[in-house]
Parts: sequence; structure tokens; C-alpha cells
Amino acid sequence: MRIASNMVTQKYNRQLTSLESDLNDSTTKVSSGKAITNFSDNTSAAVKAYKIRSDLNKVDSYQANISHADTSLTDSESALNNMEDVYQYAMEKIVEGQNATQSSEERDIIATELRSLQDELLKTLNTNASGTYLFGGTNSETEPFTIDSTTGKLTYNGYVLDDLDPTDLDPTHTNGKAAIDSLSADSRYLDIGLNIQFDSFNSLVKSSAFAYTIQGIDIAGYGTSTVNVDGTDLTVSNNLYDLLGQIATAFESDDYSYNEVDTLYSQFQESSGGITQSITNVGSKQNYLDFMTDRYETQELNLEDKQSEIEDVDMGDAVIQYKTDEVAYNAALQLGASVIQTSIFDYMS
Amino acid sequence: MPIPTFSAFQTASRALSASQTLLSVTGNNIANVNTEGYTRQRVDLTSLSLTSTNQKFANTNNTSSSEGVQATGVSQIRDTFLDARYRTENSDNGMCTTLSSGLSDLESIVDEIDSDGLQTQLSDFADKLQSLSETPTDEDIALTVKTSAQSLTSILNSYSQQVTEVRDQAIYDLDKAVVSDFNSTVESIANLNTQIKEEEINGSTPNELLDKRNTLIDELSNIAKIKVTTSPEKISDNISVENLSISLYDESKGVNISLVENGQFSMISLNTEGDTAKIELTSAIDDHDTDITDHFTSGSIKGYLDIINGEGSYADISSGGNDYRGTLYYQNALDTFASTFANTFNKLNDTNTTDTLDAPLFASSVGGVITAANLTISTDWQDNTNAINAKAYNASDGDNTNVLLMIDALEGDTSFYQEDGSTLMFTGTFSDYMTGVVAELASDITLNEDYQDTSDTVLTSLSDSRNSVSGVSLDEEGVNLLAYQKSYNAAARYMTVLDEIMDKLINETGVVGR
Repeated sequence: MRIASNMVTQKYNRQLTSLESDLNDSTTKVSSGKAITNFSDNTSAAVKAYKIRSDLNKVDSYQANISHADTSLTDSESALNNMEDVYQYAMEKIVEGQNATQSSEERDIIATELRSLQDELLKTLNTNASGTYLFGGTNSETEPFTIDSTTGKLTYNGYVLDDLDPTDLDPTHTNGKAAIDSLSADSRYLDIGLNIQFDSFNSLVKSSAFAYTIQGIDIAGYGTSTVNVDGTDLTVSNNLYDLLGQIATAFESDDYSYNEVDTLYSQFQESSGGITQSITNVGSKQNYLDFMTDRYETQELNLEDKQSEIEDVDMGDAVIQYKTDEVAYNAALQLGASVIQTSIFDYMS
Repeated sequence: MPIPTFSAFQTASRALSASQTLLSVTGNNIANVNTEGYTRQRVDLTSLSLTSTNQKFANTNNTSSSEGVQATGVSQIRDTFLDARYRTENSDNGMCTTLSSGLSDLESIVDEIDSDGLQTQLSDFADKLQSLSETPTDEDIALTVKTSAQSLTSILNSYSQQVTEVRDQAIYDLDKAVVSDFNSTVESIANLNTQIKEEEINGSTPNELLDKRNTLIDELSNIAKIKVTTSPEKISDNISVENLSISLYDESKGVNISLVENGQFSMISLNTEGDTAKIELTSAIDDHDTDITDHFTSGSIKGYLDIINGEGSYADISSGGNDYRGTLYYQNALDTFASTFANTFNKLNDTNTTDTLDAPLFASSVGGVITAANLTISTDWQDNTNAINAKAYNASDGDNTNVLLMIDALEGDTSFYQEDGSTLMFTGTFSDYMTGVVAELASDITLNEDYQDTSDTVLTSLSDSRNSVSGVSLDEEGVNLLAYQKSYNAAARYMTVLDEIMDKLINETGVVGR
């Protein structure tokens, strides 16, 4: 092929520009440490990079939520332990009161102590941590447990606990099983990455979020039982507070009956099941959160590794590439002077 | 047959002048070695022959020699087929370059590899909602949610505005640079046609004008896809001139729109009234439809039109919409995102479905349909941080079901419809939607880059071929210089010999004995 003079210079210019551009690319990679600077550098890698960034952000949120739930559960646990202590102390006091050597005045003193323990129990049931009531379910802004002014009975979220009847299966009745179930299920939820979902009525699918509260109704107990004392039927509360009040009343009464107190005492022993069960519940929830925390920590490390793989440049490779491009560019520059000048005119005398 | 005495001198002098011509043309080639578009010239030499038809006596033997050499003209060495191929490739190259620049401008708006943009803000908004789900009654946290939402709307506004700016810039470039270039080039070519034709009628070969015209046609081919046709026209017995016409070639519709017809030419103008930009033709040659926008199939004009008018999958092909993914496509894609986002959250925030009141979180700042340019938080939310409903209707104050619903909306799939509500564009998360938009842009850029690389290689190779045929080689010209110098010397030597024999004949013949 016939070579024209300006073909040589044009070709040389083009090669030089191309080498310079390559050198520029490798310099950028080495100095920034990033393998891709624009989405179009590597589209499929960039799409993955976006996904990983989004996943990392999500994992951060889940970890924050887990931390919040964990704190709430720890606060709940100490409140429950406090209740357990109150319960134990009440038991001792009742036994002490049952001692036949006690006089009427001494029994009155026991009753007073029992009533003050009642108050403490109420206060603990209404524990408030960082402005939120722990045991009210979604009712976190007002005291869940109050005393009904006319009857003096304990109410939870507006329901008188003694009036609740678990055998009443009619869903239209306000104090039946439906109400009990709904109070018990009324937990607060957080999204900790269990693929949160809602059904077609915009109700939360319970298994897709984490319930991190214990509901007061499960701790205190509800409804009433009928017991037989000395041939007469007696209605006793199932919940701790009212039961304790009944025992105190029995101690204060002028015809103190040992059998009555004893029957109430065995009922009291049974009613503490709510507290121990709730403590176990808290424990297992916190175990689950520990498990999720570990999982997310591992997941975070994995995601960060993947991110680095995609977004960061392998420094060794990058520096070698840079050096290679630099050598090529310098060689081309040195060649330039000799390529452009020579023609026959240089040799004509 | 008697030989005329002084005819040999004529031969010698013709040889000398031919050598002079050769040397001067070689000198011209050397002088123009770096001139762009210069085609090397060669002298056409013919040997003069004697004819016996005008002799008094018949030529009985063939001992008469011819009368020497004559330079009949200086011609260019050019391959017109290579020119045609070069121009076709040049128009594709022009289109790729324009598209590449427009698409990179768009990429720098939405690309978040190296910077923070919409995706980062979406993650931030989701994060703030998660905080709100922990303490749904905390007004400080609700404020952070509002602030995050405001940033989100600002970013969308900014994206939309920048896309409009890219479009405006492309319109400006198209109007001020390309259309003006086109018109002035077309006019110059027409004028050159007239000049060249005059020169050819007068019998000369206007090589410099031809070179100039070829360069102009090359420039024109970068702007639009053209077809050059030449047809010879016989002026007289000996002279035939070329008629050159250039037309805009639309292969798919088989349409040729005449741009230059010898000395006549057409002009184009840009019409930006309405939603799309149109190219209009003012023809001095024939009757044709004014709107020739659809007939540009390649060249930088097509590149600009794609960037300016391209609506991608929002285009209505039946009414002539441009389905390239240009600025209008990305504008529409952002609008779809904005309106879907706003509608989703507004619907979720309206927890009281029993009444007819709305509880919007997002609204248009100018009323009417929500677009990416006018998306803002509603005045209700602006005035009252607690306008965001964290709890379900009639639930207790500590309930966070509605916030969880909002989180689910961000984490789960949403359906994105075009403005008419019937065409489904995409199903996926909000984040996936934006990633998809950017990925489409990036794929277009990569595709265009590859196409441009190929086009560059082909163009370079054709350019080299053209140069190989028409370019000046200094080595060749140098050798020719030596050769023509020698031939001049030889002709001069011949002249000297003739002079000596004439001298011998006149002064020293028939002087016997003197």
C-alpha cells in the first residue's frame, strides 16, 4: 500500500492519543483505588454494587431495631425480676401472718404491709422506660394498669381483669375470649429483616416482624375462680393484685379464718405463673435477638467483602497496568522524533 | 518526405516546457503536502502525432517521427468510490459522537457510583422510618423523617431540572452550530458548483476548487446522511461538464430530498415550538414537505434529534414518536417515579378510609399532576410534623402499624405505570426502579461506545485508503523531482545538439576550400 506523508503523522498522533488515554485511565484507577468511576464502566458490576449498598443500609437499620428491642427487653426483664422479688416477699409475709401465734394487731400490720406490696406491684406493672410504658402493648403512652374508682379492682387497658371470662366464646361479648386474645396479641412490632408483609386488609403478618413487648395481661392474670372454703363457695381473683388485696382483707377481717387465708394462699401460689412465664419469654426473645445479631454481623462482613471485590481495584494489578502503560507511552514518545522527520529530502545533497 | 528544418526545435522546446510543467506541478504537490483535503496532481502528457491527411503528398514510408510531447492537463488522482464509502461511515461517526456526548451528560446527572444521589437518599428515608417505628410518638424522630423526605424531593427536582438543561443545551447546539453549519456548507457547495462548471466550460481543470468542494461535502456528510450524484452534461463536441447534486438520503423510506442541485440549494431550520423539535426545509429546488425531521437517519443532526426528542418506551410510535432513549424518556421515567412514590405514600397516610378527607404527605408545588420537577412535601406536612400517621386508624398511640406499612412499601415491590395508568412500565422496589433507569442509560452508553470504536476504526482505515490514493508522498515527489530535473537537462542537451547541427549546417556546410 502506498504510504502518503501525512498518513504517517496522523497514525502516530492517533496512537499517541490512544496511549495517553490508557495511561490516564490507569492513573485514575491507582490514585482513586476504585475499579469503576462511572456506571457505564461496567454496567453489571455497578448494578450489583448498588444492590449491595442498599443491602448494607438495610442491615444497619435492622441492627438498630434489634438494639432498640433488646434494650426494651432488658428493661422488661428487670421490672419482671422486681415483681418476682415482691411476690417472694409477699409469700413470706403471708406465711408469717398465718402463724397461729399472731395477734389481731400483728395481722393488721401484715395486712398493711401486703397492701403496700400491692402498690409496689402496681407501680412495677406500670414501668415506664424512656417515656414508654413497657407492659401496655401498643398502649405505650398512658398507664396500662389502673384501679377502678368504684370497685377498687385492677383494670388493664380499660378492661376490669376480674370481669374477663375465657370460657365466653361469643365474639360479640366485650369481656369474652375474643377480648382476652386480642389484648394478649397486642404487641409492639419491629422490622428486623424477616421480610415484613401485610395481608390484603393491611394487617401485619405476625411472623414477618418481631414482637418485642410482653403484655401486662399475660403477667398479671385475669378472670376469677371459685373455691370452696369450709363448705362455702368463694370467688377469688386470678390476678396477683386483686388476690393480694383479698388476702390482706382476710387478715384484717374480724373473723379471721385460717382456712380462708390458706385457700387464698394456694391460689396466690398458682397465680405467680404469669411472672415466671414472662421472664422465660423475655429470655427466649433475647436469645433470638442474639442469634439475629450474630447473623447480621456475619452478613455485614460478607456484604462488605463483596462490595470491596466489586468496587475496589486490586492495587497490585492496577500498579502493574499503570507501569506498563507508562512504558508504552514513553516508548511511543521517543519514537516520534525519528518517525516524522525522515524522507528522501534528508538524503538529497 | 522532406523534414521541416526547424520542427526539431519545436520538439525540443516542447520537451523543455513539458519538463518545466512537470517540475512546477511536483513543486505544487510538495508545497501542499500538509494541506488538508489536497489531492495530488499529475500532469497528463501526450505524445503529438503527425497526421498525413493534410499533406500534399502521401506518406510512403513511416520514417517520420512524432512532434514531441505536450502537457494536456493537470489532473487529480482521486477514488470517488472511496469517497462515497468514507462519507457513509462519516455520518454514522457523527451520530455516535453526538449521542456519546449527550448520553454522558445524562449519566453524570444520575450516576451515584462516585457520589451520593437519589438511591442514598431513599436508603436514608427508609432508615428514618425504621427509627420512627421504634418510637412512633417521638416528635423529634418524626421531624427527621420529614427532613429526609424534603431532601428526597429536592434531589428529584434537581435531577429533573438538570435533564431539562441537557435537553436545552442540545437544542442550542443543534440550532446555533449544526443547522448554521449545514446551511452555510450547502450554500458554499452550490456556489462552488457554479464556479467549477464555469471553469470547466472555459476548458480548465479547477483542481483546487474540486478539493475545496470535496472537503465541504465530507463535512456535510458528518452532519447528515447524504447521497452525491454526478451526471455529465455535454456542452459541445469536446467539452463535457459535470452536474453535481446532493440529496438527503432516507433509505428506510426510499426518499431523496434534494439539498443541492448545481447552483441551487435548500436551507433547513429548527422549529422548537411544541413538545418535540422539528427540522424544516425551505427548498429552492423542488416541492417537498416542510417537516423533514423523520428523514434524518444518520449524522450529527440525527444524534441531536434522538437526544432531544427521544421518548424511549413512552413514545407513541403510531404518531411518529422517537423511541430512542433520549432526554424526554429520562424525564418521563423520573416523573413516573415521583408520581408513584407520592401516590403510594399519600394513600398509606390516609389511614381513615371511612371519610372523604385525604391526608397527603407529598404534593405538587404548582398544583395538578405530580412530576419530578414539582414534587414537594404537602403543606399539611410542612406546617405540622405530626401529619405523618404512624399508627393505624383508631389504634392506641403506641401503635406503629402504619410506619411498618410504609417500610414495607419501600422494601417490597411496587408497580409503576405510565401517566395514563394503563401501561405497566416496571414492577420492583423503588430502588430497583432507579437502578434500572441508570442501568439502561449505562448500557446505551456502552453500546454507543462500542459502535463508535468500530466506526472510528473503519473511518480511519478508509481515510488511510483515501490518503494512500490521493495523498502526497514526499519520497515519491523527491524522486520525481530528480527525474524531471534530469529530463529537463536531457531536453536542454538535445536543444544544444540541434543548435550545433544547425550551426554546422549553416556555417560549415558548403564552404569547401574557403
